[in-house]
Amino acid sequence: MGCLCNEKELTDEQKYKQLKEFIDENKNKKGYLIPVLHTAQAIFGYLPPEVQNFVAKEMNTPVSVVTGVVTFYSYFKIFPAGRHTVTVCLGTACYVRGAKKILEELEKKMGIKIGETTEDRRFSMGVQRCLGACGLAPVIMIDKDVYGRMSAKKLDKILEQYK
Amino acid sequence: MYNLRAHVLLCYGGACISSNAGSVKEAMEKAIAKAGLQNEVDVVTTGCMGTCELGPIMVIYPEGVFYQKVKSEDAEEIVQEHLLKGRVVKRLFYKKPKTEEMIEMFNDIDFFKLQKKIALRNCGIINPLEIEEYIAADGYMALGKVLTEMTPQQVIEEMKKSGLRGRGGAGFPTGLKWQFTAASPGKQKYVCCNADEGDPGAFMDRSILEGDPHSVMEAMMICGYAIGADQGYIYVRAEYPLAVERLSIAIEQAKKNELLGKNILGTDFNFDIEIRMGAGAFVCGEETALMRSIEGKRGEPRPKPPYPAQKGLFECPTVLNNVETFANIPYIILNGADDFASVGTEKSRGTKVFALAGDINNTGLIEVPIGMPLGTIIYDIGGGIPNNKKLKAVQIGGPSGGCIPTDHLNVKVDYESLQELGAIMGSGGLIVMDEDTCMVDLARYFMEFIQEESCGNCTPCRQGTRIMLNILERICQGKGKMEDLDILEELSEQIKQTSLCGLGQTAPNPIIATLRYFRDEYIEHIRDKKCRAGVCAELVYSPCSNECPASVNVPGYLAYTKEGNFKKALEIHLKNNPFPAVCGRVCPHQCEAKCRRNDLDSAVSIRSVKRFMADSIDDYLKCFPEKQNSNGIKVAVIGSGPSGLSNAYFLTMLGYEVTVFESEAKAGGMLTYAIPSYRLPKNIVEKEIQALSRYGVKIKTNSKIGKDITINELKKQGFKAFYIAIGTGDSIMPAIEGIDGNNRVISGLDFLYKINNNEKISVGQEVVVIGGGNTAIDAARTAKRMGAGVTIVYRRTREEMPAEIEEIKEAENEGIKIQLLQNIKSVKSNSNNKLAVEFLNMRLSEFDKSGRRRPVEIEASLFTREVDLLILAIGQKPSLGHLFDKEAIKLNRDGTIFCHSHKGETMSEDIFAGGDVVTGPSTVVEAIGQAQRAAEAIDKYLTDGRKEYPWNIMDEIEVKFDPEEEPVDYERAKNIIIPVGERDSFTEVEKTWDKVTACKEADRCLRCEFKKEEE
Repeated sequence: MGCLCNEKELTDEQKYKQLKEFIDENKNKKGYLIPVLHTAQAIFGYLPPEVQNFVAKEMNTPVSVVTGVVTFYSYFKIFPAGRHTVTVCLGTACYVRGAKKILEELEKKMGIKIGETTEDRRFSMGVQRCLGACGLAPVIMIDKDVYGRMSAKKLDKILEQYK
Repeated sequence: MYNLRAHVLLCYGGACISSNAGSVKEAMEKAIAKAGLQNEVDVVTTGCMGTCELGPIMVIYPEGVFYQKVKSEDAEEIVQEHLLKGRVVKRLFYKKPKTEEMIEMFNDIDFFKLQKKIALRNCGIINPLEIEEYIAADGYMALGKVLTEMTPQQVIEEMKKSGLRGRGGAGFPTGLKWQFTAASPGKQKYVCCNADEGDPGAFMDRSILEGDPHSVMEAMMICGYAIGADQGYIYVRAEYPLAVERLSIAIEQAKKNELLGKNILGTDFNFDIEIRMGAGAFVCGEETALMRSIEGKRGEPRPKPPYPAQKGLFECPTVLNNVETFANIPYIILNGADDFASVGTEKSRGTKVFALAGDINNTGLIEVPIGMPLGTIIYDIGGGIPNNKKLKAVQIGGPSGGCIPTDHLNVKVDYESLQELGAIMGSGGLIVMDEDTCMVDLARYFMEFIQEESCGNCTPCRQGTRIMLNILERICQGKGKMEDLDILEELSEQIKQTSLCGLGQTAPNPIIATLRYFRDEYIEHIRDKKCRAGVCAELVYSPCSNECPASVNVPGYLAYTKEGNFKKALEIHLKNNPFPAVCGRVCPHQCEAKCRRNDLDSAVSIRSVKRFMADSIDDYLKCFPEKQNSNGIKVAVIGSGPSGLSNAYFLTMLGYEVTVFESEAKAGGMLTYAIPSYRLPKNIVEKEIQALSRYGVKIKTNSKIGKDITINELKKQGFKAFYIAIGTGDSIMPAIEGIDGNNRVISGLDFLYKINNNEKISVGQEVVVIGGGNTAIDAARTAKRMGAGVTIVYRRTREEMPAEIEEIKEAENEGIKIQLLQNIKSVKSNSNNKLAVEFLNMRLSEFDKSGRRRPVEIEASLFTREVDLLILAIGQKPSLGHLFDKEAIKLNRDGTIFCHSHKGETMSEDIFAGGDVVTGPSTVVEAIGQAQRAAEAIDKYLTDGRKEYPWNIMDEIEVKFDPEEEPVDYERAKNIIIPVGERDSFTEVEKTWDKVTACKEADRCLRCEFKKEEE
């Protein structure tokens, strides 16, 4: 179940309709909350409180139970994912060459922390232990592109390429 | 129906798909159609074949030719050459690691040859998307047999008889689990399949689901029949979309063919299977958590009992087995329990699938009989460790498992043997780690993983792992305390005892195992602030300096050399190591192996730059560090090899009055009397020793301690401390007949001593050198220079030779023959004044404590050869003679001096030791490093010690450096080696670079020491 949200942008109304159809179809199956949440995330891209409320109502379950399940599993996202993922390498070589500084600069520029997404959903940010490009340290990766010998100065120019 | 004459099997496992197997498939089909072969050749996409590193992989039948790393551009050639003309495409063959030998046939590759496939029997052979292919491979036959010929109890008995144990990790007997569930009262029962494979580095279950989904489904139905269940659930992690997709297709196809649903195969057996996706919670691999997750709840484990066999899913009796366990079952039913039980060991029957990952040549998926030695898996199937690195440990069982060090390579991989070593079979992740792995960091990594995955339900796991992680992080940052180790051990035990579920109970395992086998590394992190692998950022100045036993500031002298400031470069070097010209010639330069420039092109040629730097300055005196205020305290150093002289030098630097006592006529030890002058010219040694004399080190030659003067007499003369560095001057001789008193038999060391001492010795025509170390090579190349034909005989293989690779290569270049896997048996004198030496052929057997395979004699392989001179260079030991009273210090079993600290402290408080006499034969730079540490210990013994020692301070490098600039892009400069034809004497084989070459090479340094300080 990949992310269906980008195929053709549906209206919220259509999305809720799709979700309701799925719930109605499977309502009587035992323990079906998690498959429903998978489907909801596939439709909406993430699981904001409104969607959780909707699921709870349709499945006749307390919202607390739904939220409890959503927050237990790391696969379920309460925040939407960005269009691009910026990964900062924090391996040894990058670390000593100032990867932390770059991370701080990114946090400042985007106004988000590790694991979060910018409000315009342009970027999500994460870290990795080693991207295996130590000779180029410090390294960041945006989607699948690797940028070596990074500095805070170079960030703007690189980020600009990702809309 | 066409008559197909060839099948092209293309691996469509996850790894091959991500290396573009899809485009290869398209290109192959296009090329086949273009050649008009579409009715004769079929392209079959299969599940994982196992060699993931080599993907995309293709096997062409009927021949069974194996092609690796196939690209879409290769399709045309494969079709035109192989399929049309019948000529194989050699360039796509598999190449054996190290030897580069090309192998054509699938079945001839060691990786496949040594495997035994039961669970993976269909993976890589059938197309998992076609139920017909599964049926054609005897699929659903076992189900048919069970439903029509066996009672449920007979099925359970068969399972019990087979000895199959759960492959998820704990190894509980499957037949018993089924029996308990069958016996539990209750109308509704369930069969669950655990496919929540979450261990880092494990992908066995994914490959089975992707490559052979029907076999798992068939087994679940057999289980359902045996225990009386009509519903099955497969719990797959959400991160495996391909597995989910292929399973869904398989379920659809089974339903269509009435193999799932009501009245299966015309019997009254009903069964249905549903897929449930996990959602990224590692703890859901635990059985009670998994069942809660299927129920749609938070995946928190609950206490047991009741066990799932009594109260499982939806409170009903449930069997939960792992994917691999299920995949074995149709085979057992069809071939019989006895057949299955004939594989493996007494207590662990059958095979086990492992995912080989990490620092190993052949990464991928393998299935081997349980009980195969670990070394066989790593070296024969896995092809060994890449990049000439050394194996350090193998992590088995993921975060719940433990690591096994190299001295246990003979361990039989089965449930019980692994447990004895503190590891577990686990689900089958097998991560190989080379010397560049830091074991403390490894423990930290696993603890971080577990900490994040702890569900938080019970306190020991939630809080305990947090505290352990904090401690490990502190140790990795160099802020650990010795007490931390006790706390870690205590916490480990508590968490193990008191956690609710398997996750918490096994969470401390990586810490327990690393503390058990690699405690030294923890201590180094805490006490010396050193991470020997160079991983822990806060403890590493630069990878090269970190690796150097004498901690020389490598980026420092490279930077100044680049600038042309050779004096400053030498100053930096001399502070830590007074032998730059010697080390510039004979150092094995392990620093270069760690050079980060290896990632870009190749390492900086550090040793050759050093050599130029040292040779460019004749008088070191102005470059030595200033001596600290003299304290007048007298110290005696016994032995004037590199360790003794260095220790004297470091103590002189600190203000001591040091005298070095040397029994020979000249100072220098091995530098003077062992290493031949074609490698290390004597004037170079003299230059550096003279510099030390002028700095203030007193050297008394021809003074043998214990004979000319005793330690007690020295004490009376006012010497307050003693550093013993007499090396290993005695040769170890083999216990064979005919060598004692034979004047045509000589030890390697004696031979080299005589040559270096200008004594006459005749080598004759045929010389044989026994041994594989540097002394053997030195002796062989020396004998060659004296006009003899020389053969080196070594009892193991080239890979195990302890000599430096470059030296072995040069020996061969000079025409020296190397006979491997042979050993000497006896020596007899011949009538024509020659020796008749008997040899035996050897073969390698199991692994010994050193992690190398032990050589054993091949029976009836005796042969004789005539030899003029036999040189034995099989080992060395210290020659302590009458140095001191026997009670004064303790010796190790091999005759080396026992030190109770890494700083050379012996059992006598005023006697210290270092160099080869402590370590056994080692390198010059190692001896210098020990001299540093012993100097610190001696200083602390004689005075209150001091805050800092000059050699531990890394001076700031005042050479401009811009980290954002691209590094210079030229390749590593080559060493200047005199061609073999022009080497006829003992003149040096290698030449020193010119200034331009040296400065340019030094500029290749990436300056890894350069840190961006957070301002």
